[in-house]
Amino acid sequence: MAEQDDILALEHLGKTFRVGFWGTKVQAVRDVSLVLKRGESLGYLGPNGSGKTTSIKCILSLIQPTVGKIRLFGADPSNAAARARVGYLPEAPYFYDYLTPREVLDYVGKLYGLDGSTRKKRIPMLLDRLGLSHAMDRELRGFSKGMLQRVGIAQSLLSDPDLLIYDEPLSGLDPIGRKEVRELMAELRREGKSLFFSSHVLTDIETLCDAVCILDRGEVVAQGRLSDLLRMDKLESEALVELPLDTLETAKARLLALPGVELTEELGPVLRLRLPTDVVPGLTAAVVDARATLRELSQHRDSLEELFVQKAVHMVSSDGQRAPKAGSPE
Amino acid sequence: MSVQTTHDKLTLRIDGPVAAFSRIFTVAGNTLREAGRNKLFFGLLGVTILMLIFSVLLSDLALADQKIRLVTDFGLAVIPLVCIATAVLLGAVLLYKEIDRKTLYAILPKPIRRSEFLLGKFLGLSLLLFGQLILLAVCWAGVLHLRGGTFSMALAQALGLNYIEILLVTSAALFFSALSRPVLSGVLTLGVFLVGRITYVINDLMQATKGAFAEVPAMRALGRVLVAIVPDLSTFNIADELQAGVSLPPDYFVHATLYGLSWVGFFVALSLIVFERRDLV
Ligand SMILES: Nc1ncnc2c1ncn2[C@@H]1O[C@H](COP(=O)(O)OP(=O)(O)O)[C@@H](O)[C@H]1O
Ligand SMILES: [Mg+2]
Repeated sequence: MAEQDDILALEHLGKTFRVGFWGTKVQAVRDVSLVLKRGESLGYLGPNGSGKTTSIKCILSLIQPTVGKIRLFGADPSNAAARARVGYLPEAPYFYDYLTPREVLDYVGKLYGLDGSTRKKRIPMLLDRLGLSHAMDRELRGFSKGMLQRVGIAQSLLSDPDLLIYDEPLSGLDPIGRKEVRELMAELRREGKSLFFSSHVLTDIETLCDAVCILDRGEVVAQGRLSDLLRMDKLESEALVELPLDTLETAKARLLALPGVELTEELGPVLRLRLPTDVVPGLTAAVVDARATLRELSQHRDSLEELFVQKAVHMVSSDGQRAPKAGSPE
Repeated sequence: MSVQTTHDKLTLRIDGPVAAFSRIFTVAGNTLREAGRNKLFFGLLGVTILMLIFSVLLSDLALADQKIRLVTDFGLAVIPLVCIATAVLLGAVLLYKEIDRKTLYAILPKPIRRSEFLLGKFLGLSLLLFGQLILLAVCWAGVLHLRGGTFSMALAQALGLNYIEILLVTSAALFFSALSRPVLSGVLTLGVFLVGRITYVINDLMQATKGAFAEVPAMRALGRVLVAIVPDLSTFNIADELQAGVSLPPDYFVHATLYGLSWVGFFVALSLIVFERRDLV
């Protein structure tokens, strides 16, 4: 039973593509279930190729799920009235390049059935809000990726939708652009809009979401409220200790023998340790005893990035390519 | 399932036939606008107008009583062909371009049905071709006038039937472009056009006592299939009758139009079915 407050629900969503001459199966998304409640903000995260865009295309009825069900405002996504309440920003958005931002928004406004005077009022206002007022009447051909992204966001807001579905809203932007879009999204969230957005970069979205769903190879690897997932209430500390070279092994064994101490990184004689905060006095005593040096001591909490690395079996390298998973299926 | 669409501030008009037609016209308008920036389209148009003018120069070489005849025949043959070529070229990429350039991804999630989008694209292209036909006809009429001829009612009727043929080819292009990629859909559309123009020849060959179509069973079967699945486009070409001075009964035009529009309806319906279920990846 769908609750009134569930504006988006995926139930065991799965999508299999068939590629190539032989119709080889590619499972892009498998068994994803999630619920987005009114006013909530959900980050849909995962490395490139993990199935985020595919899921979003299913939510907007651009493609049909192979298995599972989607409820958008309680209706099937093929329902135009349900989609009317969604503002969608496609991944790397692209619009007719012979149109100007004003014309693109006018076209979109007509599809929403907005009357002429409303369009005339809202379009310059939105383009202004997105910092595009200077380029309002220039053809999109020749716009930078960041400017297209802004046009995409402007058109997503035209119908004053309840739910915003943004596919990689921050990718392709320069640092200032990222900051501005992040601030805009935070503002929209404060205005009471529900947010569903995907990202393959985790560092700058933590502050934007209440809950996350992390995908890897089409499967959910972690899901839930950010506060639960990141154990924010748990007090942990992090210490960087440099050991004396002559008694390296015994000193190391001694520190690691303390209750709750974990070795997270080892750089020659320098150890990065994670420990419960109440063990800190014990650690400092042991450090003095072993003639080691305490380089750093800080309060620690998990970051989304760490959670992600811990959950996702393999990492995203800098060029966005993923290392192949050993013994991968298919 | 009813979904609330009225916000505090904004009213979205998305229900009912008026809103649906308005969306179709919005898409059609944009399709026209896109063609208006298409170099290929204007190139073809310019070349044709030059050819019409050239036919006047050419007619200087003809005998006195053949001059008007030459310009008339030339226009009657070339104008429909140019419009058909435009229909094939623009029709083949009509949907593919939107998918390839990802412009569709921003449009279809809006409260528009896929059928409305498709009908809008078809309407836009049909209007464009109508404009093209009218423009060429006006140029042709001017050229005829220069030669001392007149643009008769019969010629207008002939072009009217040609427009039905153009619509038919456009709808075939729409169907193939909903189904496949540009090159293939262009080739298939061209195939329908070429075979369609000569179905009567194939028919005649099958009736004949000699020749491959009459004698080889496999060819006979192929001929039958072709004649059955491809519209007979000679219905819409009455140049020969005009030349022979045969006047066609009004019935003929009504039947030809109905025949043509049935095929258009068939192709459009097939396109809708194909496009409705297609994954847009
Ligand atoms: N049209 C398609 N045909 C075949 N495979 C596809 C298609 N679209 C996506 N995929 C595959 O599905 C997986 C998920 O892709 P995608 O949803 O784009 O990931 P993300 O958006 O998370 O980067 C990838 O392995 C991709 O190669
Ligand atoms: Mg993606």
